[in-house]
Amino acid sequence: MDDVLDEVVSSEDLQKFEKVYHEQLHQGRVTHKAQFEYAWCLVRSKYAADIRKGILLLKDLFNTHAEGKRDYLFYLAIGNARIKEYNKALHYVKAFLDIEPANQQVLVLERQINKRMEKEGLIGIAVAGGAVLAIGSLVGLGIALASKK
Amino acid sequence: MSRCDFKIVLLGSEHVGKTSLVIRFVNCRFNASTPYQNTIGAAFCAKTICVNGKPFNVGIWDTAGSERYEAMTRMYYRGAHAAIICYDPCCLESWTRLRHWLQELRTVEEECKVYLCGTKKDLIDSDEVRREVPEDIVNTYSQGLHGHCLTSSKTGENVEELFQKIVEDCVADINVMKDVKELRVQLQKEDEKKRVYCFC
Repeated sequence: MDDVLDEVVSSEDLQKFEKVYHEQLHQGRVTHKAQFEYAWCLVRSKYAADIRKGILLLKDLFNTHAEGKRDYLFYLAIGNARIKEYNKALHYVKAFLDIEPANQQVLVLERQINKRMEKEGLIGIAVAGGAVLAIGSLVGLGIALASKK
Repeated sequence: MSRCDFKIVLLGSEHVGKTSLVIRFVNCRFNASTPYQNTIGAAFCAKTICVNGKPFNVGIWDTAGSERYEAMTRMYYRGAHAAIICYDPCCLESWTRLRHWLQELRTVEEECKVYLCGTKKDLIDSDEVRREVPEDIVNTYSQGLHGHCLTSSKTGENVEELFQKIVEDCVADINVMKDVKELRVQLQKEDEKKRVYCFC
């Protein structure tokens, strides 16, 4: 594991924090702590649906709990990057760096997001290039066959 | 998932200088002008360390010291081969919390090697601050552990030595090395599988 974007929560941990959150939800009062811990597990899940849920919980915290804003921005960036919403992720990174321009953790995260965009962009180009090549050769074959006749 | 041979975690109260220690070790620098920023959750970095001419990839998890993250950081102790518990010799509170950190670690990872690390040695040496944690108490306490040292992330004193000793201790441990070898074999197999898949 070479970067924070690859880190995956274990299902026991996710369940543990999910339980606390739901118990509090049932009682009618969810603490910021419980919501944050659950959201933090969700954005590190293998499943995109979990990550999306985590993002919603973090957005809610961001709007209601000013004290923890930097934490919420950080994990909003991670969550979005993990579901390949890179532009949104970079938006949160930028919002964080506006407050703390020299934060190492966030600068590292920014580099990792850029690296992924680049890598996946290149793969995209390669796929598109392959398609062009395939069409080109089909057309070429067609012309060749036509000229034979 | 992990491509690191050894996993080291750093723990200790906030503001003792865990992140500075890691940055000094990995990037060989210390920036006195950077304002204090508490670590969010945990940060990861890796460095290759050579023992007996053989390279070992060491993954370091620098966990947040603030209480806000306590439930979260505990998860990063899992699977750690070694732990560095940091305290600030000029802050008695960071020392009294040490027992708590050790307990936290032991509940998750019983076999983990534990090293105590007093930070900010340059400040003590220059008499700028008063030492609050007596040396003899530290010595008594660290007897049951794998080591103790005083480091300065500002000057770099003892930083490299601490990590080098940890990796040497890991290499000398048959049980740890068994894990390392198994993991390497497994990763190699996975790589081979991937290569075959790519050719298809």
